[in-house]
Amino acid sequence: MKDVERQIRLVGEFQIECVLVGGVAATVHGSSIPTQDLDICYSRDSANLIRVVAALRSVNATLRGAPKDIPFILDEETLRRGLNFTFDTDVGKLDLLGEVQGVGVYADCFENADEAEMFGYGHRVLSLEKLIDAKRAAGRPKDLIALPELETILEHRKSGL
Amino acid sequence: MDKVEYTEREMLLIDPKPGTAAAAARDFGIDLSLTVSNLRLTPEERIKQLDRHVDGILALRRSLRWISRASERAT
Repeated sequence: MKDVERQIRLVGEFQIECVLVGGVAATVHGSSIPTQDLDICYSRDSANLIRVVAALRSVNATLRGAPKDIPFILDEETLRRGLNFTFDTDVGKLDLLGEVQGVGVYADCFENADEAEMFGYGHRVLSLEKLIDAKRAAGRPKDLIALPELETILEHRKSGL
Repeated sequence: MDKVEYTEREMLLIDPKPGTAAAAARDFGIDLSLTVSNLRLTPEERIKQLDRHVDGILALRRSLRWISRASERAT
């Protein structure tokens, strides 16, 4: 079993309330651009933060890019005090986003998500239209490079209606 | 290798009409035959394929580093 599959399974097993966004969402919609990390926009209610912490602990998550000597306690309170977190885990890079540029917070992503059945669990995936908005709003070269293919997939989808 | 046959709708991506998003993507350098292949898969199959591609890229990077170190040792 490979990293992204294991990351998606982790989200399902721990019943994390989230929407898959970023490059993995693009893959789910049919993009051919490779990505290694899973970005999720997560619900910040207490019950969900507890599930997120349990999931992250189960894969030995550590803050990515932070010096090793910086103390970091992975608990509900820490997640509540922050918004976006990037982690290295036993199953690869996992990024938690409290807000997605061009779309909004979890509730906005949830309202604009499609459902996809993967690896035995139902997952919410940011809609193609909103993913394009998010990529355009983020505006980094790696986001802009993804746009022509995503717009093509959207055009193709609409041509089939 | 078997010749891939495309449906009429898929041909709109393989040989796009001018002024479409597909034409813009092709001109940008996107290989839309890969996109067509992906669109034939289920979401779960797309993730499995992504993992295989990333594995391949990482293996290639490891090989390049090994070749680079070997050539440094040789000089």
